[in-house]
Amino acid sequence: MNKTFRRTDLLWLAFTGLIALAPLVPAIGSNSFLMHVLILVMLYACMSQAWNIIGGYGGQTSFGHAVFFGIGAYGAGMAVVTYGLPPWPGALAGIVSAAVVAVLISYPCFKLSGHYFAIATFAIVEIFNRMFLVWDWVGGALGLDYMIVEEGFANLVWYDSKTGYFYCALTLFALIFGIVRFLEGHRFGYYLRAVRAGQETAESLGVNSTAVKLSAMALSAALAALCGAFFVQYNLRVDPAMVMSLDMSMKFVLVTILGGAGTLAGPLVGAAVLVPLQEFTRAKWGGLGGGVDLIIFGLLIILIVVKQPAGITGIVRDIAKRRGRKAAAEKGGASLGTA
Amino acid sequence: MFKPRMKFWIVAAVAVALMLGAAPGPSLAQDKVIKIGTIFPLTGPVALAGQRCKAAVETAVDILNNKNPAIKVPLADKKGWLEGYKFVLVHTDSQGKPDVGKAEAERLINQEGVWAIIGAYNSAVSGPASLVAERAKKIFMCGASSAASLTQRKEMKYFFRTASTDEVESQEFTDVLAWLNKTQKNANLKTLGIIYENSVFGKNAAQQAMKAAAGKYQIVADVPFNPGATNLNSEIQTLKAKNPDALFGAVLGADYALMVKTMKKMNWLPKVSLNYCSGYQDPVIAKQLGADADFFMGSTGYSPEFQSMMPAVAEVEKIFKSKTGGVPYDSDSIQETIAMLVLAQAIEKAKSLDSTKVAETLYANTWPSPLSLSGKVAFVPGGQNKFALSIITQLQGGKYKKVFPTEKADTKPVFPMKPWDKR
Repeated sequence: MNKTFRRTDLLWLAFTGLIALAPLVPAIGSNSFLMHVLILVMLYACMSQAWNIIGGYGGQTSFGHAVFFGIGAYGAGMAVVTYGLPPWPGALAGIVSAAVVAVLISYPCFKLSGHYFAIATFAIVEIFNRMFLVWDWVGGALGLDYMIVEEGFANLVWYDSKTGYFYCALTLFALIFGIVRFLEGHRFGYYLRAVRAGQETAESLGVNSTAVKLSAMALSAALAALCGAFFVQYNLRVDPAMVMSLDMSMKFVLVTILGGAGTLAGPLVGAAVLVPLQEFTRAKWGGLGGGVDLIIFGLLIILIVVKQPAGITGIVRDIAKRRGRKAAAEKGGASLGTA
Repeated sequence: MFKPRMKFWIVAAVAVALMLGAAPGPSLAQDKVIKIGTIFPLTGPVALAGQRCKAAVETAVDILNNKNPAIKVPLADKKGWLEGYKFVLVHTDSQGKPDVGKAEAERLINQEGVWAIIGAYNSAVSGPASLVAERAKKIFMCGASSAASLTQRKEMKYFFRTASTDEVESQEFTDVLAWLNKTQKNANLKTLGIIYENSVFGKNAAQQAMKAAAGKYQIVADVPFNPGATNLNSEIQTLKAKNPDALFGAVLGADYALMVKTMKKMNWLPKVSLNYCSGYQDPVIAKQLGADADFFMGSTGYSPEFQSMMPAVAEVEKIFKSKTGGVPYDSDSIQETIAMLVLAQAIEKAKSLDSTKVAETLYANTWPSPLSLSGKVAFVPGGQNKFALSIITQLQGGKYKKVFPTEKADTKPVFPMKPWDKR
């Protein structure tokens, strides 16, 4: 073996170890607040990883992912509430619909570049929000409230314990992170990064940038819809303000940017920092009123972003680089000394 | 030892850890403690209303935890089975979001170990949060959420609402129109417009309004808007174009002030305007609007002008005002005090902290409630207070004047509304 053991290998080893230990986590309490936080960390990591495909690897900043997330949520919600079915067929319909909608709205939007693309996706969230608010078939402003149904994997609903939700979130996490890991090493992943680095250059080398971006958007939207289906099953209610809002769209972007866009670990790191901060600050100070928790939460985000615009993975990378340089300098010094 | 950059992050991490660990929680040192969780929108578009609801529950707990012989509400003398018990409140902020409210209900029950929950103001939050309480067999006292659907869930055994619903209010509103047609010369009220925020509260109110008006009045304008709107020009323009004789409004908080100001700007008024819930009845908003708020009407469960009918409120309101910087009760916040006081009476009567037994006791009895217009509270299956009452008032000279039903009225209504240029 001609490779030496590197610091990044150690990180991957720790990451794999944590994932392997994750199934044992329900032992900490099947209905605890900590379990709720863990489920949200995995859900937000998955949502951000879905966004990361087009926003991070593809370099197309979309503020419209709440639309796809909402379509997935409504798919599952309508299956249960409107038609009295298990959520699975609805979730599948939501995933397919989200991919189709993503392609239809992205095709004209991809003709725009930079800030204009981002602004267009902003507008799309507002359009869908208004449309769903007045569309009676999907429940309009009243939304869809779940009735009490039988617990279990068939209905994907649990009331008295969060263990079922935890394993579902873990499966979702493994699936979405697995897909993105696969894409990273696949030709499609290289095309995507090439488009981000320079669309004209990539095209001059034979990459069909439109097809690459549309495929990435469709995949990203489908995975966001899958997360939406889980979200509605977890909260047992869906309305336009909950899922199709700029607030929700910002969460997709914020978590990824905070963790590090265009990296596999970034969404997980971002969610692992942001979600516990959000939940614990609210639990601790929310009851005081006056938004003390939100102020502290906002200040911490500003702190991280100001100190390291490349996100938390950027901080880790910086530290690793500095240590590497220091080691090289010491080694160089030693070599000089012995020369 | 550490580089400055590294030092910064270490200091930041330690500060966060200290902040998370250092904030004080409610003391559990006493043995006889009954923990009650509250869920209200303490931040967000209706934060002011949420803060007042929180203060209202605190007011009730102040009365229950201390001897207050001057206060004429049950248990204020602090004698009986509950003597020696202390109610401890654990407040949470739903931000007006259903998912946050549900998560907080779970945390209150599983982490904080509360015995019951009071909340959640927003109907959209009360729904999922009360479902969590129901599964955990915890009592959920709902003061002010008005969506009729909440108490139409007949399978709910632990959910109780003290306030009136938008179904009852809609019926009252159409009764007012019929009464005006009968008693006012040339009233001729035939057409109706509805303006409502596009939320669970607004949509429910609009649906109930349409149901109540069906076959009696022609609905010529159905105007929803997004809550927190920055302008309502197109909405009021639509109303002006259709010019309904009567207008029903389900408009909360600052949106209500915006609606009135826009109507003035566009120089339009219907003959009569009747409003649901907190926008119209918010004393702070009425004060802000000044004379512009006059001649609008609405359903009111309480206003300071009602004190002659409800003499017990005066002393209680002193405590409430000390928590709100002098702002008096409104129809919503007083319901949260009532909810807490009725819950305490049920515990006292059941002589038990068994939630099922207390819930059964809540259903089985009629509770004296000097802070309610009807003076009593009793629940029917689904948890609705069958004695919930409101009076139709009209703002005249900044005062909420009672105009309907006639047996409770102290003033004649100004009809039609006085035009903007003649005020």
